[in-house]
Amino acid sequence: MSALDVAQALWLLVAAIGLALSVSYAGLPVLGAGAFLAVGGYGTALLGPGGADWPLGLAVLASVGLAAVAGWLVALGASRLEGPYLALATWALAWLVQRCLLAYPGRFGGTDGRTAPSPAHLVSPALGLDLTLTPRAHVVVSALVCALLLAALVRLGRGPAGLDLAALREGPDVAESLGVPVASRRRTVLAVTAALCALSGAGSTVLLGLVSPDDVSPLVSLELFVAVLLGGTARWWGPVLGIAVLTALPHVGDALARAGGLDVERSRGVVTALLLVAVVALRGPLTRRLHRPGPPPAEPPAVPGAVPGAVSAGAHPVLLEARGLTVRYAGLTALDDAALELRGGEVHALVGANGSGKSTLLKALAGAIDAGEVRVDGVAVPARVRARVRAGVVRTAQHTALLPHTSPDRQTAVGARVRSDSWAVVRHLLATPTSRARTEQELARQALHDTGLEHLVGADTERVAVGDQRLLQLARAVATGARVLLVDEPAAGMTAQERVRLAAVLRRLAGNGLAVLLVEHDMRLVGDVADRVTVLDVGRVLASGPVEVVRADPAVHRAYLGAGLSDTEVVR
Amino acid sequence: MDVGVLLQVVLSGLAAGAVLGLVALGFTLVAGTVRVLHLAHGDVVVAAVFVGVLGVLGRTPVATRLDLPRSLALVALVLAAGAALAALVGLLAVRPALPDPARGRRGDPLAWVAGGVAAGLLLRAVLGLLLPQEGYAVPDPLRLSGLSHDGLLHLQGGTTLPVRVLGVLALGVLVGIAAERYLERSRLGHALRAMADDPDAALLCGVDVRRVVLVAFVVAGLLAGVAGLLDAPGRAASVDDGVVLGLEGVAAALLGGLGSLRGALLGGLAVGLVQSVAVWAWGATLQDVAPLTLLVVVLALRPQGLRA
Repeated sequence: MSALDVAQALWLLVAAIGLALSVSYAGLPVLGAGAFLAVGGYGTALLGPGGADWPLGLAVLASVGLAAVAGWLVALGASRLEGPYLALATWALAWLVQRCLLAYPGRFGGTDGRTAPSPAHLVSPALGLDLTLTPRAHVVVSALVCALLLAALVRLGRGPAGLDLAALREGPDVAESLGVPVASRRRTVLAVTAALCALSGAGSTVLLGLVSPDDVSPLVSLELFVAVLLGGTARWWGPVLGIAVLTALPHVGDALARAGGLDVERSRGVVTALLLVAVVALRGPLTRRLHRPGPPPAEPPAVPGAVPGAVSAGAHPVLLEARGLTVRYAGLTALDDAALELRGGEVHALVGANGSGKSTLLKALAGAIDAGEVRVDGVAVPARVRARVRAGVVRTAQHTALLPHTSPDRQTAVGARVRSDSWAVVRHLLATPTSRARTEQELARQALHDTGLEHLVGADTERVAVGDQRLLQLARAVATGARVLLVDEPAAGMTAQERVRLAAVLRRLAGNGLAVLLVEHDMRLVGDVADRVTVLDVGRVLASGPVEVVRADPAVHRAYLGAGLSDTEVVR
Repeated sequence: MDVGVLLQVVLSGLAAGAVLGLVALGFTLVAGTVRVLHLAHGDVVVAAVFVGVLGVLGRTPVATRLDLPRSLALVALVLAAGAALAALVGLLAVRPALPDPARGRRGDPLAWVAGGVAAGLLLRAVLGLLLPQEGYAVPDPLRLSGLSHDGLLHLQGGTTLPVRVLGVLALGVLVGIAAERYLERSRLGHALRAMADDPDAALLCGVDVRRVVLVAFVVAGLLAGVAGLLDAPGRAASVDDGVVLGLEGVAAALLGGLGSLRGALLGGLAVGLVQSVAVWAWGATLQDVAPLTLLVVVLALRPQGLRA
């Protein structure tokens, strides 16, 4: 292999690392890397020496910046798209860019492409620099860039960014509910991918002194995608392996071309197609074989029975107040002027028949829908999930939603991410002194302790028992630093013993000063843990107050429990 | 702008749009029932035509006039090839990646995205082996140019239009409406829609889900064959046209609201018009650029479509 070949492979590796960030770390299927390679390659050729005659360094920087903006814009449109639609959009983008390059031969040089002076000279009179960029110089520069990028990738994976990426990849909905700004993280990731692809395009254009539509074609986009898939999920060596295979491929392709009488471009297509199918088909079985199942969770510690709530009305401060909550779906009123007060230190049960609006009320409090004013500590908080989570109001979903391949302690740490600002990732990457403040891991440990789940540390999430799964959702919410927990039917699917543990955990959380709003059908559990209860009926609050008072309310009997039931039956 | 030019732009746009409507109809049918983006659909359109031509002529196509039996054979073969190729794509590339409740298998969207793209690549590569040129003149078994004695339509102010454009427009719209009516009314259409609404419930009601998936692909393939027969003879056809044609169809399907049959036909006409107006205003270089831009913009702004 000549120095030229090595340099070319290394520049391609830069693009693969960038693409891996989107595809194998953030789980975004991007089929349009070629479009960003084109921005870098053509940008450098058009702006740099031989084009608009900007200094080479400036031309490269400008094209990389341009590509980053382009990537961010793509993500701005695509952040709402589900995976397959993102694949479609980026695939269309790859073809659009290709056809644009061919549509304006005057500017882009048609099928021949644009040339740049080769070998290029990096000249800076100010620094007294005059460097001839021989292939050997390219090898040094590109190897340095790759090494830096791989080191950054490893470090990112271990820090807060690793938590964000795991959440983006395995459960964007979970991430959203824990206050991770999913759309904004996706924009950042795609912008970085675009910038690195552009850097790669610029590098190889300067190296070869040429960029043509074939260098940035949709086929190249697919080849890079396959290369990145080869390495599996979130492994720093993935792109390295991918590029190693990709550089070996032309030899296979040539052999195929000779044997089958195909032309070279077509045989590349066949090889890419077969590899794409093979990689995707083998992905599942291979990961199952390579994946060593983690240890099964240890036995949960024995828990003392739940301490019944002692109501001392007015003793606790009001944390959350909501009033005038109204939600209408096409003719159906789900919530009708509902009001609620939640106090720190209390478990507040929300009961009502199916369809009475319990889950809708929870969604409204959590900011998933805008139904009316919600105040936390007397301050109105806008109806957005992230704003509410930051204000300390967190909802856990009715169905079990875990990140299946992230350990219980790590996914609890994802909950703690909302406590740090957006620059925490950068501070961690650069290892600034402030990055050593209290970490997500410590907060996660505390949350697992508070929910009685310390035995899950390091366990395999897929082997966690159903009851512990529900508690784990609670732990993630606690790790956000929540002061108001909105818990939707946590006891569903729990055994009797697990219900006892749940009751104890809820009492302990209230004892820590949290306000817990519990939606529950199990009236025995409600009777065991709740200090107060609110009864919803067809979207309206029927009764609200200490458990005994509501229990005795005849209207509640009629509407919710049916007339004629005796008092004992109501709460049993 | 005089009336002749206006007619020229509008008619050729609508004709191209009627073809795109058929492409979009197949795409939207698969998307609605199987919940899969059929990314090899455009390649099936082009491949069906070339398979038919190679089968009937026995060699690479030239601009010949076919006699009646060979015309009929070509039509039949193109339709059959469309159905067969689509069925192959559905069976080999897509169905293994679909959720299968009966076997407790979860769906794998990345696998069917990759499968569709790979199937398209393979179709292009295999046909490219036999047909290496940039463009081929494909014979027209429907003889739409025979609608007038010189093959042209003379418009006001001396502008002309190939007369086959009118034929393409009429046939495209007719087939589109017929297919839409059939799919809305027939027993098959009901089964397909039951799948679209709720695959699990359809399974419980005795709909053979695995077969319906295949049927959706086959119907899409037949429509692809018709689209190819109308489209390819009008221009220099190349093996590589498929991807962009398919993406134009996707743009049409999305504009009409994915899953809506009538929306796909209307979306096709709209995309055809946009393309034709762009070419008239800014030149033939925008032939592909305009619809692809439209697709990217629709995906970014209103992926649920204009009608939703």
